[in-house]
Amino acid sequence: MTAPAAGGARRGGRMRVNLLAALVILQALCAVFFVGDVVADLRLTGLVPHTLFEAAVAVALIVGTFFCGLEMRRAIEAMRRSEQAVAAASGAFGALIEERFAGWSLTPAEAEVALFALKGFDMAEIAALRGAAPGTVRAQLARVYGKAGVTNRSQFVSLFIEDLLDTPLVGLPSAPDPTAPRAAGR
Amino acid sequence: MTADTARAQGGRVWDPLVRLTHWTIAFAVVLNGLIVEGGAQLHIWIGYAMIAMLGLRLLWGLVGPEEARFTAFPPSLRAAWSHIADIRAGRHEEHRSHNPLGALMAYAMWATLIVMGVTGLAMESDPFPEGRTYGYVEPETGDEAQGAEEHEEDGEDEEGEDVLEEIHEFGGNLLLVLAALHLAGVAFESRRGGRNLVRGMIGPGRR
Repeated sequence: MTAPAAGGARRGGRMRVNLLAALVILQALCAVFFVGDVVADLRLTGLVPHTLFEAAVAVALIVGTFFCGLEMRRAIEAMRRSEQAVAAASGAFGALIEERFAGWSLTPAEAEVALFALKGFDMAEIAALRGAAPGTVRAQLARVYGKAGVTNRSQFVSLFIEDLLDTPLVGLPSAPDPTAPRAAGR
Repeated sequence: MTADTARAQGGRVWDPLVRLTHWTIAFAVVLNGLIVEGGAQLHIWIGYAMIAMLGLRLLWGLVGPEEARFTAFPPSLRAAWSHIADIRAGRHEEHRSHNPLGALMAYAMWATLIVMGVTGLAMESDPFPEGRTYGYVEPETGDEAQGAEEHEEDGEDEEGEDVLEEIHEFGGNLLLVLAALHLAGVAFESRRGGRNLVRGMIGPGRR
């Protein structure tokens, strides 16, 4: 369900990197032009203020190209890191789900139905996906909820959200701990 | 690690700067080598663009992301030999950057391109011929009738020019041969590895 958002973030990062690449290339082309121009001017008119200024522009362009390149490297690495983090997190979450399912000793069929339920499919959709009768799915879901000790789907999903919120989230202020005394601060 | 996640997404893709510089240089080589006549003003402008892109790629080899940096594909004859041994034994190994043979090819092409840039620049004494007039007229190169008198005065200079032209021409042909070998290498390695390497140079595409 989070795929569109993650894909959007990735596309945004990629667009930023592509823009930087276009900018760097434009700068490099201009830098070569100005260096050539400075050389030509030096030969034709010698060292006059105009040439000096152009030389300064050339140097600025070259330095700018260098730093723009560095910035682009940083953007590329940040994009890759976030992709890796998402991959690692989704891998860890998958492991967590498996562990929970094993702990409740769900049968393979029940585990599959439970996973579909977690992903947000409703009973009719799950039945269609599995090629089973809605009644069967309803019974399987009921058994899953029973084994997990919950009564409905939102409680079932909450079990996993709770696990995720147990550890402080990266990039979010840590959730206030209701058991901790308020005065202790953060 | 990066290679793993990238492979999970269906193959590595070079970063945009590597891709853009690669294709502009390839385009410049094809244009200047096969289509635009040497000495033409367009030839010179394309040469400048090539120099800019080459400079940028070499800079990227120092500051770019891991697999674009020179340290990811050092020129090593020993690695190239062991890669050839791998090919003969039918072993296939994934490389995070260029494979050792491809790396040698990249360095050979860059060296040739540098020679092309330097000799090209040295041949043209005015960086922007015909583009400006400060009451200064560049003697037409290659115009034998007009340059006949100068020949006697600075014969050495002309000789130097001839050598430059000779090198530039040889380099141009060498570059085209290297490019053909490069294409053959890409085709061979793509077949062997079962992964289209060209896709990595085109882009991530829609996913």
